[in-house]
Amino acid sequence: MGNKQTIFTDEQLDAYQDCTFFTRKEILRLHGRYHELAPNLVPMDYTNDPDVKLPLQLIINMPELKENPFKQRIVEAFSEDGQGNLSFNDFVDMFSVLSEMAPRELKAIYAFKIYDFNTDNFICKSDLEQTLNKLTRDELAAEEVNLVCEKAIEEADLDGDGKLAFTDFENMISRAPDFLSTFHIRI
Amino acid sequence: RAMSIILLVYSTLTKMATHLYKDTHTNNYKDEEKADSNDPEEMFQNIQIQKEIIANIRSRPWPMRQKLRALRQAKEIVLKYEGRLTRTRGYQAAGAELLRKFSRLAYNVVVLFIPWEVRIKKIESHFGSGVASYFIFLRWLFGINIVLTIMTGAFVILPELLAGAPFGTTASKTIPKEHLSSAQDLDTIWSLGGYLQYSVLFYGYYGRDRKIGKAGYRLPLAYFLVGMAVFASSFIILLRRMAKNSQLSFASASDENYTFCWRVFCAWDYLIGNPEAAESKAAAIVNNIREAIVEEQEKKKDKSLAVMISLRILANILVLLSLAGSIYIIYFVVERSQDLEKVKLELSLWEKNEVSVVVSLITMIAPSAFELIAQLEMYHPRTTLRFQLARVLVLYLGNLYSLIIALLDKVNTMSLNGTMSAATVIDATTFQATIAFPVEQNLSTIVPDILDKKNQTLSPGLGLEENQTKLMSVLTVNKTGLNVQRREQDQCWETYVGQEMLKLSIIDMIFTVASILLIDFFRGLFVRYLSDCWCWDLESKFPEYGEFKIAENVLHLIYNQGMIWMGAFFSPCLPAFNVLKLIGLMYLRSWAVLTCNVPHQQVFRASRSNNFYLAMLLFMLFLCMLPTIVAIARYRPSLTCGPFSGQEKIYDIISETIDADFPLWFGTVMSYVTSPVVVLPALLLLFMLIYYLQSIARSLKFTNHQLRMQLQTVSRISMYFLCLISCFFMFTARLQTKEGSNKKTEQESDHTSQESSVRSTSPRRNGSVTNFESPVNRVSSIKTISQPASRTEVNKTTATSHNPGGPILQKHKLEQSANRHPGILQSGAIGACRSKSYHHVAYNPSGKYAENAHSDPIFRKGIRPVSAEAMGGGSTQNFMSRRGHTTRYVIVNEHDARKKLMRSSVRIPRHYRIEEPGEIVELYPRNIKRYVCRTPQRSYPPHFAEEEDEEGMGLRRDSFSQRHRPRSLSDLNQPARFYIGDKVDSQLALAKDLAKVRYGMYEDDYEIEWEDLAPHAHARAKVKGVEHIKVKTKCKNEPSLSESDSASIASSSDQQNSSTDQYIQVIHNKEKYLKPAGKLMKKKSKTTTDLNISGSSDLICSNV
Repeated sequence: MGNKQTIFTDEQLDAYQDCTFFTRKEILRLHGRYHELAPNLVPMDYTNDPDVKLPLQLIINMPELKENPFKQRIVEAFSEDGQGNLSFNDFVDMFSVLSEMAPRELKAIYAFKIYDFNTDNFICKSDLEQTLNKLTRDELAAEEVNLVCEKAIEEADLDGDGKLAFTDFENMISRAPDFLSTFHIRI
Repeated sequence: RAMSIILLVYSTLTKMATHLYKDTHTNNYKDEEKADSNDPEEMFQNIQIQKEIIANIRSRPWPMRQKLRALRQAKEIVLKYEGRLTRTRGYQAAGAELLRKFSRLAYNVVVLFIPWEVRIKKIESHFGSGVASYFIFLRWLFGINIVLTIMTGAFVILPELLAGAPFGTTASKTIPKEHLSSAQDLDTIWSLGGYLQYSVLFYGYYGRDRKIGKAGYRLPLAYFLVGMAVFASSFIILLRRMAKNSQLSFASASDENYTFCWRVFCAWDYLIGNPEAAESKAAAIVNNIREAIVEEQEKKKDKSLAVMISLRILANILVLLSLAGSIYIIYFVVERSQDLEKVKLELSLWEKNEVSVVVSLITMIAPSAFELIAQLEMYHPRTTLRFQLARVLVLYLGNLYSLIIALLDKVNTMSLNGTMSAATVIDATTFQATIAFPVEQNLSTIVPDILDKKNQTLSPGLGLEENQTKLMSVLTVNKTGLNVQRREQDQCWETYVGQEMLKLSIIDMIFTVASILLIDFFRGLFVRYLSDCWCWDLESKFPEYGEFKIAENVLHLIYNQGMIWMGAFFSPCLPAFNVLKLIGLMYLRSWAVLTCNVPHQQVFRASRSNNFYLAMLLFMLFLCMLPTIVAIARYRPSLTCGPFSGQEKIYDIISETIDADFPLWFGTVMSYVTSPVVVLPALLLLFMLIYYLQSIARSLKFTNHQLRMQLQTVSRISMYFLCLISCFFMFTARLQTKEGSNKKTEQESDHTSQESSVRSTSPRRNGSVTNFESPVNRVSSIKTISQPASRTEVNKTTATSHNPGGPILQKHKLEQSANRHPGILQSGAIGACRSKSYHHVAYNPSGKYAENAHSDPIFRKGIRPVSAEAMGGGSTQNFMSRRGHTTRYVIVNEHDARKKLMRSSVRIPRHYRIEEPGEIVELYPRNIKRYVCRTPQRSYPPHFAEEEDEEGMGLRRDSFSQRHRPRSLSDLNQPARFYIGDKVDSQLALAKDLAKVRYGMYEDDYEIEWEDLAPHAHARAKVKGVEHIKVKTKCKNEPSLSESDSASIASSSDQQNSSTDQYIQVIHNKEKYLKPAGKLMKKKSKTTTDLNISGSSDLICSNV
């Protein structure tokens, strides 16, 4: 591309476009954003796939995530090591899943991961409590939180085990009218 | 019934298992398969599947690295195989690839041209999706208007400009002399008179020549068709959009039984990136949840019912009054302006614009008034919003309708005047003569109508006779008082309507701008800078900052669009004007929102409102189309202006064209088609079709409901089958993998494609475990025993090093979840247990999705994990040597599950007793098949080495993952790691991916199931004795390495724990079972150390 420094080869861009819901330009922009987060860590040249990971602290300070009560969980859910260290691949993946075009099923899978705070593959009561507290910034009283958690589990728990498995969650979320429009971040 | 279900499940499982086994087999023998598969059909299929993978890869929940690798692999395979296919297919593929590239490029380019993307994104990040939905809606309307503009511009305006008679050549295109002087005055221009009136902006300017230009463009026909096409295309765009939306929100039709869940999980708007917005959103969520709690606690709480009802009645009366008032005012203003025009020659600026000003004022003020009134009613905020929306919509519609009715009323008089004057020009002596005049034969039909109108407006008291005379006198006054030519040209009622609509649109724009500036901007400034020196807090008390009222603003957009549709036929440039208006509005609004607005407290739900808005728009479109259609169908086009002048009705252009420009047969065909003979049956057919579709929709809804119910029951039942299924899977998979090694050749024939991609992905998965990969490959090829042996030694060392860690963890676990263990122990080989759970995981989704009729890829995903799991099972077969034992466990498990299902616990002991002897195989006819398979496997000593290797690995992995547990890492990742090990041999990385997400969750499901089982197990304590033996048989191999560990566990843990029981018994019975173990060892021709390793791994596994 002229005298511009090449960030990705064409094949890479193609592959990214195949694997995500982004256009070429968006991928380049994403790289720009990623680079911005830590200019001295992230190289401009990604043609040979450098193994760079940015820590959680850097990622959650992005304006897109900063106000999100679940920012930490989001980043953790998308990091390959589960610790919140995102490589560029994970970074792209994250915004791809959160993009407008991603299908409901895919979003549901990651939403479940995000809300599963203790990563036991169930959304149990403690997960729900944490979710609520983050959501409401600890405004609700303990009894209220308790009540809501119980009610929520009661509503969605199909198999009666007192916590929400992924099936329960998916079942519930697939009917939610707002889920698609709200579980989405524009980058 | 339960048995039949079990059988069914079993058969399907075996089927799947065979598939998987083939898959995995081909996987392992990739090279051979590659060389052998020359069958083009197969290759083609392979390529197809790869392509599918490529197409769907973005929707898979794998980490990006994995996706990239899978993609690369799939592409490589496609590339590799494609060349081998026939040339045509190669070309096809190349063409498809080219097309794909091109479409991607096109998409990349198109995306660049989507306007205001960044702006909307910014707004979204500040205010969330609710406010942004307004702007997205605006942008969408902008798109519609662009389409309409292009249509009218290309087919009507441009031809007229290029080929039509130029300005000043005909009477309808020249400004009358007495207006020429004032034609450039500002107020004339302002009221769209003068030059503007005689321009392409309005209907009157267009020529009536049938063909214009050298090419013979039929402008009148084009004008009519475009006018209709505007409506048709709007309808189509709208309906398509609505259908798409409703597809997206297919589920929202279901009843709201997830109030709390949705409020928790769907409450946060991930788009929000602004602290203030985040704060208000959090507050809104708190309110929302509290509200739900209150609603839940006391469904209804009515206090002072009488007061409330009377207040509401009062409020409704007020609203009705204001609606009626606004309608009356509009009608009155139109009438007045009409009268003024008659009386005065020169009108002031106000008089010219009063109609639009009044209408715009009403649309500005009335909604706020409604809002005030709504406060009286004390409804729930959501209901208030709905009422408000409905009222505002009625108001807007009322405004538009009263305006258009008043205008058409005026048109009535105008057309009368027009016809009369035309008649009088020729011969105005007597009324009789006018009627008799051939030109105005239809006048006789029109006159009575008009007379009625006149009757009301002019002289209600007069009789018909008098009225006629009066009319005559008016006409004569007109004739004498005014210039005939002027009247002729002024009588272009279409232009007049178009002018009014355009004027209304302009004034509306001005008012919108003014209101944004006044209500939002200056108020914001005022509040911001004066709050320090004011006596109360301006920011939080009275004026506050302006809120962005999404619903009302959207309604205003709809109203605006309604005006466009209403006037588009009479003023072809209206859509173009609206495009400009919307652009301006977009910039102004977005600026205002970002600078001086705060988000609305009660946000109307974006997603649902989307279709709601669209439905309103559709309603508006229909209602706005009506007047135009009525005007086209009922009124006579003006005589002296416009493309249809001289015609009886506007739509006559169609029949005229058919008569003149089409061959004769077409005319006859058309006459047949439009005759009642065809139309009536067609109508009937349409009705039948509607009825049929409706009934289908109803039945589908019913099935939908049924399926949902079934889904719920199935998901419940599936839990009970968890263990059963998993056992089956592990078992079949194991057998088949064994078999597979024998019959490589067979499997090459199927399922080549998936595996190939799988193959590719696995290597990377292994990452740190790379060294294990090689043994895996060798499992199949069985090269040398010596190699594996050396490896096993390595593993041994690792195993020993890890061992200490394992037991500790086990202890921990035991104490933590005592009741969980019985179940697990029952299941026997716990390594297997894990893998079983995976099977289940894998299986469950697939079943579910099958039910759900989900998309293909998901289904496949579901299956693939199974294969992975199956392989996992294969790898956990570490106990090949002790194959007999493992099988026994499986059987026990099966029976457990079945037992539980059938609730016939009595029979169980017997089973166990039977099993005890050792070779249970024959006792269970159902399982015989597998066992038959099994016997040959035993005869393969070489495998053992491999298995032990894997065992070692498994052990390692286990301890690895266990160590991870305490950390806050997501479990989901752990399983992945675990899988790696399992899959080393299978190399089913693809499967892994899915499993990673899904299985992780299900894994726990599985454990729960075991918990459920636990009580049963306790109840059947005696039975357990038998089980213990089996467990022990498994464990007996461990002693040398981990005996002390297990002993310590036993001592530390409670006696009540069945798990500890088992361990204790293991220790006690060790000697007893040592012998058989020894035998087994010998059989295997392996070193005992290897066995020990496997044993220790077992132990660890069992507690995982």
